[in-house]
Amino acid sequence: MSELDALKVALKTLQDKALDEFSNAESLQALQVLRVSYLGKKGELTSVLKGVGKLPPKERPVIGQFVNASKQTLSESLEKREACLALKEKQVRIEAERIDVTLSGRTSSKGSLHPVQQGLNEMTAIFSQLGFDIAEGPEIEDEFHNFDALNIPQEHPARAMHDTFFFHPDGDEKANLLRTHTSPVQIRTMKACVDAGGEPPLAVVATGRVYRCDYDVTHSPMFHQVEVFKVDKNISLAHLKGVLQHFLSAYFEKDVPIRLRPHYFPFTEPSAEVDIACVFCHQKGCRVCKGSGWIEVLGSGMIHPNVLKSVGIDSTVYSGFAFGLGVERLVMLKYGIPDLRLFFENDVRFLRRMGA
Amino acid sequence: MKIPLSWLKEHTPIQKSVEVIADTLVRLGHEVEGIETPRSAVKGVRVGHILSMEKHPDADKLHLLSIDVGEVEPLAIVCGASNMGVGDKIPVATVGTSLPNGLKIKKGKIRGQASFGMCCSEAELGLAEDADGLLILPKDAPVGDEVGTYLALEEAVFDLDITPNRGDCMSMRGIARDLAADQGLPLIEPSDEAVQVTESVSAPNVRVLGEGDCPLYTACRIDGIKVAASPDWLQARLLAAGLRPIHGVVDVINYTMLDLGQPMHAFDADTLSGDIEVRLAKDGETFVALDGREVSLDASDLVIADAEKVIALAGIMGSDQTGVSESTTQIILESAAFKAAKISTSRRTKGLVSDSSMRFERGVDPAMIRVAMNQASQMIISLFGGKVSETTCVGDAEAVIQDKHIQVSMQRIEARLGVDVPESANDVLERMGFSIVRDDSQADTLLFSVPSHRHDVSIVEDISEEYARVIGFDAIPAVMPPLASIKPRKVQKTVESAVEQGFVQVINYAFIAADDQRLFVPDDGRDLVLANPISDAMSVMRRSVFPSLLNTAKYNMNRQQTGVALVELGRVYEGPMSQRKEINVMAWLMAGELQTDAWYEKARKADFFDMKGAVETWLTGRGLTARFMVDDDVQGFQSGQTAKIFVGKSVVGHVGKVDEAIASQYDLDTNVFVASVNLDLLHAGKQAKFQPLPEFPSIERDLVFLFDKTIASESILQAVRKACGPSLVDAHIFDLYDGQGVPDGQVSLGIRFVLQHAKRTLTQEDSDQAMQAVIEAMKTHFEAVLRG
Repeated sequence: MSELDALKVALKTLQDKALDEFSNAESLQALQVLRVSYLGKKGELTSVLKGVGKLPPKERPVIGQFVNASKQTLSESLEKREACLALKEKQVRIEAERIDVTLSGRTSSKGSLHPVQQGLNEMTAIFSQLGFDIAEGPEIEDEFHNFDALNIPQEHPARAMHDTFFFHPDGDEKANLLRTHTSPVQIRTMKACVDAGGEPPLAVVATGRVYRCDYDVTHSPMFHQVEVFKVDKNISLAHLKGVLQHFLSAYFEKDVPIRLRPHYFPFTEPSAEVDIACVFCHQKGCRVCKGSGWIEVLGSGMIHPNVLKSVGIDSTVYSGFAFGLGVERLVMLKYGIPDLRLFFENDVRFLRRMGA
Repeated sequence: MKIPLSWLKEHTPIQKSVEVIADTLVRLGHEVEGIETPRSAVKGVRVGHILSMEKHPDADKLHLLSIDVGEVEPLAIVCGASNMGVGDKIPVATVGTSLPNGLKIKKGKIRGQASFGMCCSEAELGLAEDADGLLILPKDAPVGDEVGTYLALEEAVFDLDITPNRGDCMSMRGIARDLAADQGLPLIEPSDEAVQVTESVSAPNVRVLGEGDCPLYTACRIDGIKVAASPDWLQARLLAAGLRPIHGVVDVINYTMLDLGQPMHAFDADTLSGDIEVRLAKDGETFVALDGREVSLDASDLVIADAEKVIALAGIMGSDQTGVSESTTQIILESAAFKAAKISTSRRTKGLVSDSSMRFERGVDPAMIRVAMNQASQMIISLFGGKVSETTCVGDAEAVIQDKHIQVSMQRIEARLGVDVPESANDVLERMGFSIVRDDSQADTLLFSVPSHRHDVSIVEDISEEYARVIGFDAIPAVMPPLASIKPRKVQKTVESAVEQGFVQVINYAFIAADDQRLFVPDDGRDLVLANPISDAMSVMRRSVFPSLLNTAKYNMNRQQTGVALVELGRVYEGPMSQRKEINVMAWLMAGELQTDAWYEKARKADFFDMKGAVETWLTGRGLTARFMVDDDVQGFQSGQTAKIFVGKSVVGHVGKVDEAIASQYDLDTNVFVASVNLDLLHAGKQAKFQPLPEFPSIERDLVFLFDKTIASESILQAVRKACGPSLVDAHIFDLYDGQGVPDGQVSLGIRFVLQHAKRTLTQEDSDQAMQAVIEAMKTHFEAVLRG
């Protein structure tokens, strides 16, 4: 066997041994050791090359090519094995990092807006979009703003229907009371406008707490009202109906049939009570609507000329509509809340469930 | 007001179904609160014709009847009655019928004879208490028809909510008038026939002082009556309308009031002395009312008196002593008009309410004074005998029923309603009693005469309501009004941002117990106290939200909550009344665990810094920066864990720990932290302005010092800021340690500095210089030593 052939055989043997060891290497680390031991500067393949010097110069390129081809083969095999092992190791790592993704996330406990606040926010937003200004007024009122200016004189039977909380008289002052409705804000807002030299148009929504001396399953001594009024030239009952229809549908987030029934309020003429189609039975008749298919939701009407007069607005030039509603009532209807008392018991389980 | 349909039908021949009548009443403004059907005619009882009648072979008192009820075969029925004969028409309860007394009719055998139904008496049909024999129907009763339908037994009672302006509708006649007008039916007028007067019975002498309060007073005397119970039909009517029968005379008066709307009164003439006088009461005068209550009168009360005593509080209630009893033989009947406001005042101040006062307050039709007097005295003498005197009449009977006149511009009406008024509406209004005349000089003007029963109609707008009722609100279109303007408005999130931080918003009553008020507010006479509270627990207007929040915390902790974070947006109220203030506040409460135990984190109990942090975050969200300073003198708070909150130069509120004794009063055995901020003192806050992002990198440095424990970190940071100069972007305490290795009375604070220059990159020397300045400042100001 020539020197050349012997070298070839040695190289082949070395290559086969290396390939075998590569494919048996079980970690990237072991593979790295093999790479150094075969392909490194002092590696076995390199040491084989050292024997090339003994060859005749003519044969040297032949073995050079042979060695290079072998190097190439080994490198490719190494890379292949490396990729394979890297993938394996990644899989092991991923498996080790496996977590229970069904465990709860890191949350912070959620707060909630009181359902009444939510109702107030929703309602005022609807009227804001319609160009109504937002107003507020005092809760401790006098008889003028709560009654007299609203065309409810002292002896009026309607006055007895408002179960009014009074304050202990303070010296010889006029009787003070907790407002029984948000209508005094009507008076204050209109009067402030006129006193400042202004004149209608006025479009106002007023919200707040009101008080009635009545406490049982269906009555709370404190509740919330939203008062809406608009005064301008040529305001009609049809406008009232238009705004009511829009508001009630917007609030209940669907087209709600409404019905106006003639009624009596001292501060409006004509007056109407407003019903919506029963939201529970869709007018098939149920316990809530007492079989009538309608549920009363608010009182409304065209502002009485005496009310306009009391604030100095000329009722022959201007007219207006007004309505007032109980916030709790509408919220109860919208969300099917059965008991008014839930709102003021403030059980956080209820508030969290109902609140936004 | 309860309106039995059968009674209503005596005033107008309405034939519509109960449902249609109810809908019509609602449309006319008379809310139907309920419909009772006391006699929903028995179904299955038919008109039967007796074809043959034989004795029962085995029982003397029983008969075997063959009855035609309109079926192919006649029915065989065994009957125990004896008042019938062949050819009679009788009510037959067929098999399957349930009678009002609960009896269910079945096929049966009576003494061996088959029976397929039952012949009925009035009692068995629920028409009478008891009866003697079968109800024999008229000869022309149609065989096989339902007896209930044939006899119009169906009864419905409408429970109406009469609005306070419609005194005229507190009677059968009043409701009938509205219905008849709407339906185009006639209103049947009450009999106008004058009662037979006996000259020998002398009419009462009446004097009216102050006719403004009593424009018309009429009275007559009836002698020789024998008071008995009123007849069944009358009692039944009263019961159906919701009144309890008393005795004959009272029942007749009540009947007349319900029928015509005119309240009346009867005195026992033997208990009166001298003339009748209508006058104002004298201060200090008293009388014992019919309900047995002694009432002290004053000069604001209108009374009926005789020569010696007050015999009635006019229009409200008679005296006990002069009332008619079953032994009464002579009576004085009163039918009068009283001023509504007068009755209202006395009713309110004396606390006496009656069916009479309810009507007078709301307005009674004076045109019925005479009619009612006639009807009642006629009924009394025909039922209980007696002779009637002439009627004494004081006042102008014509003037009280004078119509009012209103000039009405139809253009204005239509502008107000937003719809054209059809001509037919005028017909309805005329049937309601209005008379309408067209004014030829002004094209669109109508002249309205308002009838005496409509006290509520006096101006054009009232007429517009009448039109609205008559046209119906359904006929009015829904039109959006023109948009006037939209004013710009900043939407300020208040409670919303606290909710985002995890607080649950609660809403509590604005009134609390005085004792609870005292926990946080001194007794300085500035409480606003209700005169008529629901209870002591709701008697003073709150000056602090904390008692309400503590109550809510208690309520929830008692219901298995391990912690609460509450926020309330509301007002507090401060007297004295003449300088009262309503202050808008936000108040927070935290107690117990902030979170429940979770796999990633154990539960932690709220502390001062949770509460303070919430307030800080909330204020920051509004563009406000708060400073906090020790305040050891806040009522209800634990000193050493309480701070006042500054925004700008004003104290806007407090944050701190609730005194443990107070917390335990609310059953809270955990630390409770609260805060409150006066919203009215907060200014708008700065609007964010754009600033270019820094171009050059920042440097972060840490220094750790030993400080005396009494030094407030806020003052340390102030000194730090001053020492560091303008390149300081942020300095905050990142570490706090007072454990092992730290001398007693001292604390180790780690301060982290972020330095940055707007124009260049800071060098190591720059930051070294700044740190050196800080070290020296700490030494001079606080004798603080740099650690490690």
